[in-house]
Amino acid sequence: MSRGRWGGVATFVALAALVGAACSSKGTNSTNTKPIVIGISLSASGDFSDPSAAAKKGYELWAKTVDAHGGIMGRQVQLKIVDDTSSPDQVVTNYQNLITKDKVDIVFGPFSTLLSAPAAKVANRYGYAFIEPAGGGPAIFDENLHNIFFVQPAPVVDSGTVFANYILSLPADQRPKTAGYPELDDPFAAPIAETVRQKFEAAGITTVFKQIYPAETAEFTTIVTKLAHASPDIVVGGTQVADAFGLVKAMISEKFSPKFLFLSNGSNDPVNFPDKIGASNVNGVFGAGDWFEDEKSPGNAEFVAAYHAAYGPGPIDSTSAEAYACGQILQAVVSKVGSLDNGKIIAALHQGSWASVEGNLSWNSVGEPQGQDLLVEWIGGKLVPVYPASVALAAPTIPKPNWAG
Amino acid sequence: MNRLSAAGLARGGVVMCALVAFPFVFSQHWVLNMAFFVLMYAGLAQAWNLLGGYSGYISLGHVAFFGLGAYSEAILFSHIGIGSRGFLPLLVLPAIGIAVALTSVPVAWVALRTRHMTFAIVTLTLLFVVQQLAFNLRGLTHGSQGVSVPSPTFSLYERPFYLALLAIFALATLVTWHVRRDRLGLMLFAIRDDEDKARGVGVRATEAKVFTFAVSVGMTAMIGAVWAYYIGYVYPQFAIDPLVMIGSLLPVFLGGAGTVWGPVLGAFILVPAQQWLAYRYGASELYLIAYAAVFLAIILLLPRGILPSIADMVARRRDGRTTPRLPVGSAREEIAS
Amino acid sequence: MHLLVQAVILGILIGGVYALMASGLTLVFGIMRVINVAQGAMVILGAYLSYTLFSSVGIDPLLSILLIAPVMFALGVGIHRVFIRALRAESGEEMSLLVTWATALAIEGVLSVTYTTNLRSTIPGYAQRSWIILGYRVAEVRVFGFVISVVILSALSLLLARTRFGRSVRATVQNPTSAKLLGVDADRVSALGFGIGISTAAAAGAVFGIIYPFNPGSHYDLISRLLSIVVLGGLGSLGGAVVAALLLGVGESVVAVMISPSWSSFVFFIVLIVILVFRPQGLFGVRERGAL
Repeated sequence: MSRGRWGGVATFVALAALVGAACSSKGTNSTNTKPIVIGISLSASGDFSDPSAAAKKGYELWAKTVDAHGGIMGRQVQLKIVDDTSSPDQVVTNYQNLITKDKVDIVFGPFSTLLSAPAAKVANRYGYAFIEPAGGGPAIFDENLHNIFFVQPAPVVDSGTVFANYILSLPADQRPKTAGYPELDDPFAAPIAETVRQKFEAAGITTVFKQIYPAETAEFTTIVTKLAHASPDIVVGGTQVADAFGLVKAMISEKFSPKFLFLSNGSNDPVNFPDKIGASNVNGVFGAGDWFEDEKSPGNAEFVAAYHAAYGPGPIDSTSAEAYACGQILQAVVSKVGSLDNGKIIAALHQGSWASVEGNLSWNSVGEPQGQDLLVEWIGGKLVPVYPASVALAAPTIPKPNWAG
Repeated sequence: MNRLSAAGLARGGVVMCALVAFPFVFSQHWVLNMAFFVLMYAGLAQAWNLLGGYSGYISLGHVAFFGLGAYSEAILFSHIGIGSRGFLPLLVLPAIGIAVALTSVPVAWVALRTRHMTFAIVTLTLLFVVQQLAFNLRGLTHGSQGVSVPSPTFSLYERPFYLALLAIFALATLVTWHVRRDRLGLMLFAIRDDEDKARGVGVRATEAKVFTFAVSVGMTAMIGAVWAYYIGYVYPQFAIDPLVMIGSLLPVFLGGAGTVWGPVLGAFILVPAQQWLAYRYGASELYLIAYAAVFLAIILLLPRGILPSIADMVARRRDGRTTPRLPVGSAREEIAS
Repeated sequence: MHLLVQAVILGILIGGVYALMASGLTLVFGIMRVINVAQGAMVILGAYLSYTLFSSVGIDPLLSILLIAPVMFALGVGIHRVFIRALRAESGEEMSLLVTWATALAIEGVLSVTYTTNLRSTIPGYAQRSWIILGYRVAEVRVFGFVISVVILSALSLLLARTRFGRSVRATVQNPTSAKLLGVDADRVSALGFGIGISTAAAAGAVFGIIYPFNPGSHYDLISRLLSIVVLGGLGSLGGAVVAALLLGVGESVVAVMISPSWSSFVFFIVLIVILVFRPQGLFGVRERGAL
């Protein structure tokens, strides 16, 4: 009886002893021949596991490429990737462990703003630079943390701006008169469509439909029924990936085909978009993106070649490129400041512009990138950059043809 | 009874002293961070146990109140600031706890009209209702954009959070322990065993249930508030997360529902195991399967929770093999006293 | 008005599929007082099996039900043998919640390892075709899904009404103790009932996979809906589950069109709470002392 009762105490003592033992066996200090350890938390399960897998490919490809070329400052690069199960508690634990227990030299970001935001705070507390591929939602810049560097050309809210600029550049007779905005309630989705809507309304395009739908929406037919009823010339979807597919599938089965269709996410996925909605239906759909396979950005050709060599042929998820770009930027900044000192890295990154497969990036004091995304369109079954003209590989084709069915 | 109570006090004292000393002995950030989450789930489990373990009302909606606490803290301090040293958000915790407890009374009164599985599912529904409100009341909560809470600049960042949680945890344990020997405890056990009969013999079941529910969710809300301040960002899907609900329920059943130390033991085993497994082996993608397997094994081997099962075994050995199995409930009460 | 009618049609069609998923859940509860939290995971497992049969062998996803259902039936009987039966004597409902929850996690884990967590959808040729009936557009696949659900549900209710096994089940649902006294083999009834419950989930999964994209984590959203449906209908009542599923389908669909999709499940949940407060046993549940 008493043994059972004291079980709790005994276990606690044993646990404390274990923790103590773990603390006392710290590693010795690294010398200059030791590898540079970069800590990253990604989601192997849960909501963010899908894009996390793409990010992992990009990070690992970069590490492999760098090591093959002699590493950084003569030191090999070693990634320590841990799982956060898509949970904010675990992501905080992971960056705590990476920084204060395993004493990694550098950290890179996880996937999604929802996890990047708490993780950035942990990194900030210990003075670590937080170079991150995927945390570009609004809340993350609210806290005015100076250690954040979002490695994409533009903050997420502005990723529809390039589309708005293109539409407003059209001659008056080609411009749409009415617009509809289905928006996913998500920090990466609705705000994009809202930014476009404000620009369009200011330019006199009437809003005839606006609907925010929740993340767990599986039923898009009701939304599309209503959208088709309003019948706007242009549909700007503030979407994430799964709902973008659902929305388009419903538009196809409801036979509603607007003259212009832009989706903030989903349509820029070269693999899954044709796969999910049918390859014959993709033409004429617009998307925005931070990176494309054919882009002439610094190091992109090498990246694409290395990717295909490592992971086989087939389209590349832009998240892989974003993660790879984090590595490129680290490499550049470390060579410039000649040290792994996070304070110096942060100071240096706030100056000038930095070349990567994501283009030449520069950041304001809270880590918002200062560039502009690319507008892409499905033309002839392929995803092609069409705007701005400086990076376009083809002219936009309008209006969108009807669904093939 | 008196002898047991002295032993109980001593045991409680030892554990509490160890827990208070802990952040002063170990000051590594990562250790304290782990300790924070262990205490958080121990506290949640203990608060849940007060209602679920004692009265048998399985609430699957406690995390709605965790979220309410988290949002109260986040919205309040994103507007008024956290003061010069950042202790203000920890000082207002009792106010948040009391406010949420009072708010919960009408909800509890309605929900507690149902019983057993229906109650479990009504409370689960409550979880989704509150989560949807957090998403949809954008003016207040910023919806899916989330609310960011200013960060304090404590000298050892984790320690004040840890101590705040410890205070709530101690309160929860003390309440659990006290109620166990109080008239309220007797009423709750009577309700668990047979509510109609209990009412028949004059137990004021509704009052007992509603009061316990309010106290239980009040403590849950305080823990949610500490969590929000610690994490720094509040998003609806994380503040009102079915997985947090499960995380606070599992330790109770693992350690032994209705006992004072069972839920705590459960949390001290489960949380480090889970966080460590995910950190260490998560990348192999077998984490979820391993976790489920361990979990199934424990339930099948110790179906009534660790403490009651051990108590059973010990009692059986002592009384010899001829004694029939203890009736359900008696071991729980023995171990809990 | 056109929109409203369209929403109602859609709600009924999708409600039918939910009814099929929920039927197994309520049946299992009726027989053995076990809430199978893994029902949603079973639906997703069914969706993956039919996806695999379709994409690798080319078997039509709706026809594949004929293959999947027996396999899942066997799996259900197996789970019952290993986990559920071991528990029943020892402890009550709460432990069965935990066991089935762990089963759901295990299924999610196995699916994540086997299929990765990418979203999948099964796209047979007719997936995006639709008919126009009296001016209302209905997607073919939803009609097929609805018809299949109705067929399986009818078969299930015939099974319960007309066969010896069905009588044993109904006797067990009404009064387990006297059923046992009358010579009903409770263990066998439970095992078969659990198997049937799981195979209806699998059948619904094949339909689900054509209508919605899914990944191993999709079962969380499903199970909360399914639980609401069976409680609203009255735990253990097959007819109640069907009515509640149709109510859920139509209610969500109408609120989504008339108000906003953001509020559609909210409205349903509120209705659920209100009904349960006045009728804790659900719409068609029998109020037994201590059971509800």
